[in-house]
Amino acid sequence: MKNIISKLNKAFESRVRLGIMSVLMVNDDVDFNMLKDLLEVTDGNLASHLKALEGLNYIRSEKQFVGRKPNTRYIITDAGRIAFREHLDALEVLLK
Amino acid sequence: MEKQLDDLKAIREMMERSTKFLSLSGMSGVLAGLTATAGAAFAYFYLLRDPVAASYGQMYKMAILLADALIVLFLSVSFGVYFSWKKSKKNGYKFITKVALNTAYQLFMPLVAGGIFSLIFLYRGDVDMVLAATLLFYGLALVNVSKYTFSEIHYLGITEIVLGLFAAIFLTHSLLFWTIGFGVCHILYGVIMYRKYDMKK
Repeated sequence: MKNIISKLNKAFESRVRLGIMSVLMVNDDVDFNMLKDLLEVTDGNLASHLKALEGLNYIRSEKQFVGRKPNTRYIITDAGRIAFREHLDALEVLLK
Repeated sequence: MEKQLDDLKAIREMMERSTKFLSLSGMSGVLAGLTATAGAAFAYFYLLRDPVAASYGQMYKMAILLADALIVLFLSVSFGVYFSWKKSKKNGYKFITKVALNTAYQLFMPLVAGGIFSLIFLYRGDVDMVLAATLLFYGLALVNVSKYTFSEIHYLGITEIVLGLFAAIFLTHSLLFWTIGFGVCHILYGVIMYRKYDMKK
């Protein structure tokens, strides 16, 4: 049992990070505002979780301009995809 | 254990909500069905069956039919938008999102093509083929959009396609097939969806 629990990824313990990863798993790229609307969190809270996930190389960001407004899009990395899938598998095994 | 179960639920919900438009209400299906039935009844009793209508010019008849169809379309779309807006408000979600716009695009792309195609038949005076074409293109539009909303819509789409093909084969009964497709099927589907998704919340 302990073995399985250790497979759960600590990086995905927070509900916000879980949400970010879930959204990025099924969408090619998602911008900051869409994430904010979906997860219903504050700018600061979301930004800090995004930064943490980016630091772990699970997601990457691309800055661009829509007109004159800066717009940041987030994309899941291969490492992030693998890590999240392993986390999901561990969750599933735990519930069986 | 509780936390893990909640986590899985949250993951699933996020994946769904970020790709699918789930604010569609069964109520719009029921009302669209009723509107379509009323529109078909009007066309049947006042244009096709009414002896007075035989004296109308062809162009005049087509104009009335077109107006009838446009009113049905306008009311159905309005009901759809209104009840979706109400449902998203009730759930505390934003109504116009990227997902909603994409869903609308996936629905209307085949519909606009079908609408123009049907207008060409209407212009030629071939009402029966108009009825068949609207059913067929509507069915294709539903199959297309089902990936971006409740997946049950897929089956409604298949039903409309089959009815459209039947309407094209049995042209003399095309209005009957049209009424089944746009009227009866919508009402049935709306009731099923309303009971499945809207009532428990």
